[in-house]
Amino acid sequence: MAGAWETVIGLETHVQLRTVSKMFCGCSAAFGAPPNSNVCPVCLGLPGALPVPNEQALKLAVRAALGLGCTVHPRSVFARKNYFYPDLPKGYQISQFEQPLATAGSLSYLSPDRGVATATIQRLHVEEDAGKSLHDRFPKQTAIDLNRCGVPLIEVVTGPDFRSPHEARTYLLTLKQVLEYAGISDCDMEKGSLRVDANVSVRRAGETTLGTKTEVKNINSFAYVEKALTVERDRQIAVLEGGGTVAQQTMLYDSKTNSVRPQRSKEESHDYRYFPDPDLPPLVLTEEFIAEQQTLLPELPAKKRERFVEKYALSVTDAAVLTADRAVADYYEAVVHAGAEAKTAANWVMTEVLEDAKDHADGLRVAPGALANLIGLVRGGTLSHQAAKRVFAEVAERGGEPRNVAEALGVVQVADTGVLAGWVSEVLGTHTTEVTRYKQGETRLLQFFVGQVMKASRGKADPKLAQRVLEEKLAS
Amino acid sequence: MIDPSEALASAKGAADRIVKVKRLNACLTPIKELRKSLVAQASAAHPSGVLYGMPVAVKDNICTLEFTTSCGSRILEGYRSPYDATAVAKLRAAGALIAGKTNCDEFGMGSSTEHSAYGRSLHPFDKTRVPGGSSGGSAVLVAAGALPAALGSETGGSVRQPASLCGVVGIKPTYGRVSRYGLVAFGSSLDQIGVLGRSVHDAARVLSVISGRDPKDSTCEERDSLRLPTVPESLQGFVIGVPKEYFPQDLDPAVRRACDRAIRLLRELGAAVREVSLPHTAYAVATYYIIAPAEASSNLARYDGARYGPRFDGSEDVRALYRTTRGEGFGPEVRRRVLVGTYVLSSGYYDAYYRKAQQMRALIAQDFRNAFDRGVDLLFTPTTPTPAFKAGEKLNDPVAMYLSDIFTVTANLAGLPAISVPIGRIRGLPIGGQLIGQAFLEDEMLEAAYALERAVPAGEEA
Amino acid sequence: MSVTHDEVRRIARLAELDVGEEALPLLAEQMSRILEYVAQINAVPASEGVKPFVPGPDAVRFRPDDVRPAPLAFGPAELAPAFRDGFFLVPKLGQFEDAEA
Repeated sequence: MAGAWETVIGLETHVQLRTVSKMFCGCSAAFGAPPNSNVCPVCLGLPGALPVPNEQALKLAVRAALGLGCTVHPRSVFARKNYFYPDLPKGYQISQFEQPLATAGSLSYLSPDRGVATATIQRLHVEEDAGKSLHDRFPKQTAIDLNRCGVPLIEVVTGPDFRSPHEARTYLLTLKQVLEYAGISDCDMEKGSLRVDANVSVRRAGETTLGTKTEVKNINSFAYVEKALTVERDRQIAVLEGGGTVAQQTMLYDSKTNSVRPQRSKEESHDYRYFPDPDLPPLVLTEEFIAEQQTLLPELPAKKRERFVEKYALSVTDAAVLTADRAVADYYEAVVHAGAEAKTAANWVMTEVLEDAKDHADGLRVAPGALANLIGLVRGGTLSHQAAKRVFAEVAERGGEPRNVAEALGVVQVADTGVLAGWVSEVLGTHTTEVTRYKQGETRLLQFFVGQVMKASRGKADPKLAQRVLEEKLAS
Repeated sequence: MIDPSEALASAKGAADRIVKVKRLNACLTPIKELRKSLVAQASAAHPSGVLYGMPVAVKDNICTLEFTTSCGSRILEGYRSPYDATAVAKLRAAGALIAGKTNCDEFGMGSSTEHSAYGRSLHPFDKTRVPGGSSGGSAVLVAAGALPAALGSETGGSVRQPASLCGVVGIKPTYGRVSRYGLVAFGSSLDQIGVLGRSVHDAARVLSVISGRDPKDSTCEERDSLRLPTVPESLQGFVIGVPKEYFPQDLDPAVRRACDRAIRLLRELGAAVREVSLPHTAYAVATYYIIAPAEASSNLARYDGARYGPRFDGSEDVRALYRTTRGEGFGPEVRRRVLVGTYVLSSGYYDAYYRKAQQMRALIAQDFRNAFDRGVDLLFTPTTPTPAFKAGEKLNDPVAMYLSDIFTVTANLAGLPAISVPIGRIRGLPIGGQLIGQAFLEDEMLEAAYALERAVPAGEEA
Repeated sequence: MSVTHDEVRRIARLAELDVGEEALPLLAEQMSRILEYVAQINAVPASEGVKPFVPGPDAVRFRPDDVRPAPLAFGPAELAPAFRDGFFLVPKLGQFEDAEA
């Protein structure tokens, strides 16, 4: 009886910031280097080493906070989160606790159930990543790679605002879109540059107090977000309907079996003994620093969507498709800027351009100016829509100016009435029965004749002109 | 100033003198390795450096490329640092010779150098007594005449206290004056590298070299290196405060006599001396013994046998590896402090201990600001409540051991510079007097110290 | 302020420190005395609202985002007590806890 239950979900998302070096040392933050090759005294946690924060990481974090409508605090504090784990070399993670970088933001997303919904961003803080433990590389041993150790992250924490696994996933995609837009992160879950933990609870519909929550971890792909949360929600409902109680614990999701199991660890491991990191003075950000990040923040998807609807008279759906990716949105605007009519340009971008991009690693292969020219050729009657598609594919594949390509392909429409008259006579001569029927009032046959003219011209005839010549001939 | 042959002679001389005081267990570097390295360093050193050819020993908790850096602990037995501490790199660049690593209380935790995994260091004048600590080995080498200066480190008095007990000069600079990069952390908000020297001048010129900005340490101030003052003719114009809380009723009368004489000499040098009050002094040791262990419990979490250092267990479980490595690798005092530090940070106790201690620290720092705001330039106090005590005397009474830091911890809590200068002998044992200066005004403090050093008949009974 | 044996055990587990049963009584007694001594700061009222004092610079300085690692005279292979194929090796995690992703 899932209908009688309400699901409550909050998300904690870790996002890797797009920097070239680590958060607190000058090691490369690049993914995929040989194990333990991007390491130094600082990220190895050697005796005597000390952290120095990366300016770009803080700029990106502030940009993320501003993009999510947070209040950025002019003074925040780095804190140590103490716990023992083999891939945590110092025995603590430098994070933020009592005084985070930013609080009280929000992010609107399109809920599949409720229309536009708003998730509250409770806090956003900066921290360093841990290394990687490989448990199945060697028998009996765990292998540790510290390349990732010290890579800069932000953690974005929402309130318990989502009412379904689907909503949680939609929020996450929206968050990803915003962060990608602003160049803050690659948000690649497969590479671990975006990771999400979820707090899940259920309650009887209509209740106002929250049920006991569990934390779901190990969701390592977008494809699994909804599955993992659904599995955990269903588990909790089954427990409660069976008369049991939900235990507050951490659940690990296993994508192979699509199931969750409790993480077996001792309660003490959660006493993180946070305290201000004495190696790092307070993080003080000037008004100018924060203002500069605001100016460097691009127009974000929601704003852009609204503007596209307004400025280009597009439907909300079309605007959403065009703004889903910043590169596509910029491309679309460049096409319009180069002289194409907005609605026609939108149709082209949403069909030919995106289809071609999908097959070619998201590459936008036809230059915006070329597409605008192509659209102009159709509008001016030089190319039929069908011919234009062929020209587009050719330009995408081999480059070139659309007009030259069209000529080389021999698909330029014939608008010479003398030549057209020849094809018209030919068609009317071979379809005498239809001519008679037309003349008796069956005028809808005009389209049939146009089609025959197109056929006779092997697509080169300008259909509008052909129609006019046909009408003239048939009227005489 | 000196030519290369003199640097070589200096290196060999240092090695010879260190051999002579071997029984004091002050130097942890095997003598063969030390001699070889000193000779190599002397031939590689840059003759234009201001410390060219000067041998300087380094406390075992400061990272050096030569020698091991074991912090007086079994948990780092045989550990070689793959990098030099910034202070060491600066010494090297100035032409100084790194003259071995000196014994210390494990990770700097102790006031007697008895808490070393490598045996206690002996007091140079009475081997039944302790030289103080934690930088005991450095103090002993300087006091025994083996070297003109040595690096130590302070968290609560670990340079000044052994300097007082051994009859040498010990300087703790302002927090942020010297880079901590490569100083193995104990209490990061309190730690500073300091210098022990035969004289104020020897200590000060080493301090001048190691001070100054370092992009590798976020807590190091963006300042040029310390400029050495000249020896003043008089202390005319100086106002020296004497805080009454540092002269309690039960203070050893001989210590009081030595201090009274030093105060009289300061007056005779032209300084105006006036009594001041630092009302929160009584809570300094308690405050310190919350903050320092709390930070230590976190700073020492990295010693787990996983990435470096010895392992004490072949178990198949990583938690067991941690527990035995840390259980066996740390000595009793470090274990106590890690446990106390973990306790005061743990859930439910943080507010009553750590947060409260942070507030107390602010009040203690404010006491000093108030005194300085009222026109006082420097403060004069005893460095230690007693001269060197007997080995073993306080070993099983941690609180009694902690109280030997009672006059020194305040400068660490407030981040202020302080210096201990010998002010005479008590029952044949040296005792030091302390000058506490204002933040980054080490030059004023050193001027007064120069004058006091010259005026005091240091070898004389007070 | 009296620390029980159980509390010492709990704290020792948090600190990942082996404390033998035979060492418990003395440790509990010493920790109790230390904690009792330091707790005297709670006798000072009026410290509420006092801003904590942090020595050192008022604001953290930033490092430019350049790849410029601090030098290592030798690498992890020479530091590590156990190292293979570029990895640090540690014994597997105990049965009582799971590997985190």
